[in-house]
Amino acid sequence: MKHFTTGLILAAAIALPGTAHADNETIAVFTKNQTNPYFQAVRVGADAAGRALKAKIIQYVPTKPDSIPEQLSQVEDVIVKKPDAVVFIPVDYKALVPAVEKINAAKIPVVNITDRIAAGNLVAYVGADDYNIGLETARYLLKTMGGKGNVIILEGVKGSLTNIDRVRGFTDALKETPNVKLVAQQPANYQRLQALQVMENLMQSHPQIDGVLAANDPMAVGAIEALDGAGRKAMVIGINGSKEAVELIKAGRLLASGDFNGFIQGCLGTEIAVRHLRKETTPKEIILKPVVIQKANYQPYETPVEQRQCPTLAEVAK
Amino acid sequence: MTEADTAPRRRFTLPPDLAQTGYRLIAAALICVALSALSDVFFTVNNLMNILRQTALLFLLASGLTLVILTAGLDLSVGANVALSACLAATVIKATGHAPLGFAAGLACGALIGVVNGILVALLRIPSFIATYGMLWILSGITYYYMAGETIHGFPPGFRQLGIGYLFGVPMPVYVMVLFLLLGTWFAQRTIWGQQIYALGANPVAAHLSGVPIKRRLVLVYTVSGAMAGLASLVILARINSAQGDIGEELTLPAIAAVLIGGTSLFGGFGTVAGTLIGALILTLVLNGMNLLQINASWQPLVTGVIVVLAVWIDTRTRKWSE
Repeated sequence: MKHFTTGLILAAAIALPGTAHADNETIAVFTKNQTNPYFQAVRVGADAAGRALKAKIIQYVPTKPDSIPEQLSQVEDVIVKKPDAVVFIPVDYKALVPAVEKINAAKIPVVNITDRIAAGNLVAYVGADDYNIGLETARYLLKTMGGKGNVIILEGVKGSLTNIDRVRGFTDALKETPNVKLVAQQPANYQRLQALQVMENLMQSHPQIDGVLAANDPMAVGAIEALDGAGRKAMVIGINGSKEAVELIKAGRLLASGDFNGFIQGCLGTEIAVRHLRKETTPKEIILKPVVIQKANYQPYETPVEQRQCPTLAEVAK
Repeated sequence: MTEADTAPRRRFTLPPDLAQTGYRLIAAALICVALSALSDVFFTVNNLMNILRQTALLFLLASGLTLVILTAGLDLSVGANVALSACLAATVIKATGHAPLGFAAGLACGALIGVVNGILVALLRIPSFIATYGMLWILSGITYYYMAGETIHGFPPGFRQLGIGYLFGVPMPVYVMVLFLLLGTWFAQRTIWGQQIYALGANPVAAHLSGVPIKRRLVLVYTVSGAMAGLASLVILARINSAQGDIGEELTLPAIAAVLIGGTSLFGGFGTVAGTLIGALILTLVLNGMNLLQINASWQPLVTGVIVVLAVWIDTRTRKWSE
């Protein structure tokens, strides 16, 4: 399976002997959990960049998904081991500020990716802007709906930064289209089973639903299953650009998915960290442009992340 | 009920199990009446079928758990069991294209985890809370490693009938629920093994002295709980058409809540499978009502907590009165 290849690649990267110049830096990469495909894509991207630049990548993932105390203690452990640089996705953008401050105090450079940390000294930030992804994906849905109809929003975990920004993007897009009515808005905690059940319940009180805005792909899939089960039709969008979402877009069951591109974020975060260590100039901030994956442009996304090439910093800067 | 208070003490009263189930049915009915009054779509066939289907999932998980709690034990690994069993079943179905084989794999995986739990608790005498808590981590670790953040999705239509199919207008999971309600009730109330489980939960020393094979019965209840988690994982898989490493994670606490709201005592020896069904129904009604009434469903955990505490409090009070 997949992890075997990843494991081999990792082993190969570690086994690579140090060459003449300043190769073989150790980069510690922090992600939030082992369950969400998004973070898997980040890790694959970081590994790919490490391979290309001959740096050693070590992954740190909390065993309990999204656990703040666990990530805090992982950071403390890593500081003791003194990696050359850290690529960091905080489990929580506020609660992990002390962790970043500790890394700063240990004089280890930090590149922050995906969720922007609230404070601390960073070499750079690489992210895709949740707000704009939400906005653009919602706009695509509303345009396809012809600017009229009833929609539902399925929210992720209340209070999480990604959810706040994505939903703000959704609602701002809705403000631009006054003839689309938001008939309900409920959390389904980024979970597909919860989304399925919430959608089943909402369909009872709303006989006409034309569009569903889900704050991630698993919830979009849950909503599609609920609609199919009831024999009803509505256009559904999700966010993440996951493999499953791409297949559903191809099959015409999902309208679109906002691309969060964890792979590229993993690539670029790692590349910046390595180039910074090699005293090259690196950008202070990269915000990836939102891409709405849909029927017309899904093909490149069919390539599994493991087989994709990292874009270089120069390519992205264009 | 007020009559009973004022009437002189009579020898003949309702058996406590029945009375308890009765109160719970009344509570569920009251919630239904309130929701019908507040929402005009609550009392529609579609909505009621949805509620029953959602209840079925929770009940399957909670019914096996009921037996464990009847022995004064706890199985915290049911959610993690669901995840591993579902992912394994999904892999087998994908690899062989043969749904019955995947079905068997999921069920066997669930039951096997239960057997291990049973051995840990009965033979190695590890407190069930700790044994199954450890198992939760072990299973999550295996599942996360195995899935590596991937999703397996798209299953044969025949298999999916288990989750999304209808028979005479009633969703398939509801039939599974009724089947296991009858089986569970028959097993617990009408078989010697069932009665032995109550006996060992109420007083293990007395049960041992009267010849109940405690270890074997303990292994049995954990196996049943594991197998039911395996079955629940298959219904979930058939419903949502995909498996992911965190698929059952959020289900453990609601399942325990369903058992407690259903009137089964954490101290063992008291409770029924039918009560658990009503507990699952009450929890499902709360979420359904919040969705229909446009109340932010984030409040659901709070309401669940209040109901659990209330239900257990009322039970301890009524049991004191009846003594």
